[in-house]
Amino acid sequence: MPQQESAAVAEDRERFTALITEHLDGLFRTALRLTRNRANAEDLLQETFLRAWRSFHTFKPGTNARAWLYRILMNAHIDAYRRTTREPDIVDQDDVDEFYLYSKVQESDEFRRAGNPEEALLSQLMEADVVGALEDLPESFRAVVVLADIEGFSYKEIAEILDIPIGTVMSRLHRGRRQLQVKLWDFARRAHYVRADGNAPSTPGGAGR
Amino acid sequence: MRHLDCEDVLREVWSYLDGEVEETRFLEIQAHVEECAGCGPRYEFQRRLIMIIQTRARQGYPIPETLRQRLFRLLE
Repeated sequence: MPQQESAAVAEDRERFTALITEHLDGLFRTALRLTRNRANAEDLLQETFLRAWRSFHTFKPGTNARAWLYRILMNAHIDAYRRTTREPDIVDQDDVDEFYLYSKVQESDEFRRAGNPEEALLSQLMEADVVGALEDLPESFRAVVVLADIEGFSYKEIAEILDIPIGTVMSRLHRGRRQLQVKLWDFARRAHYVRADGNAPSTPGGAGR
Repeated sequence: MRHLDCEDVLREVWSYLDGEVEETRFLEIQAHVEECAGCGPRYEFQRRLIMIIQTRARQGYPIPETLRQRLFRLLE
């Protein structure tokens, strides 16, 4: 009975639309961070959308829809990109601890002159700095940091989304955050020299603006 | 039970801030951090740092309307 069949499909489509709509911004943002490229992010989101629709009948209502969608996104990403790009060897910075950025700010004369050095640094971090630092992270760290720090998933949810043990989630997250701080310090220091005393950077021979 | 020292407390900064330590431990760390001049500012800095990373990275990336429309057309 085609009439009935199409009614069922229409109902599914309605339920699927309701489920995925509120997560599209987050999924798109995450696709951008994973692929680091607008066109690839759009492709990845489309693939995620199609896979989710095709396997919608396996989704159990009342379970974690958001985690289910992000898991599909991650798997689609792995299928599309990881087989073409080899992850470079991960170099761990052993001399960096969890409080790298805090220590750097405390040691810095430039920032201490600001009175409240911590706040001076944090308020300086712009969207481009944060995105740039995230995109410089090795892929496996980046996925975990994005899921935890941008998307707000718990360790357990991330373990399920990426299909890795919780211990691995924690170690990648902590190492990722350490590397992120090293990058952010580079950006902040550069920006601070530029903005010091409210003057434009004094480029040798430059006329300034 | 052995009392927490600064080293213990600093080692757990991420788990604590991520809400991933159990209640008793959470309260112990919280009490230490409130009192300790060394750990307090460090915890506060890390908390603000993660908050700023989240705020900045969430800025300005809504899904483009054309893409949204393209996706939902796939269902038809």
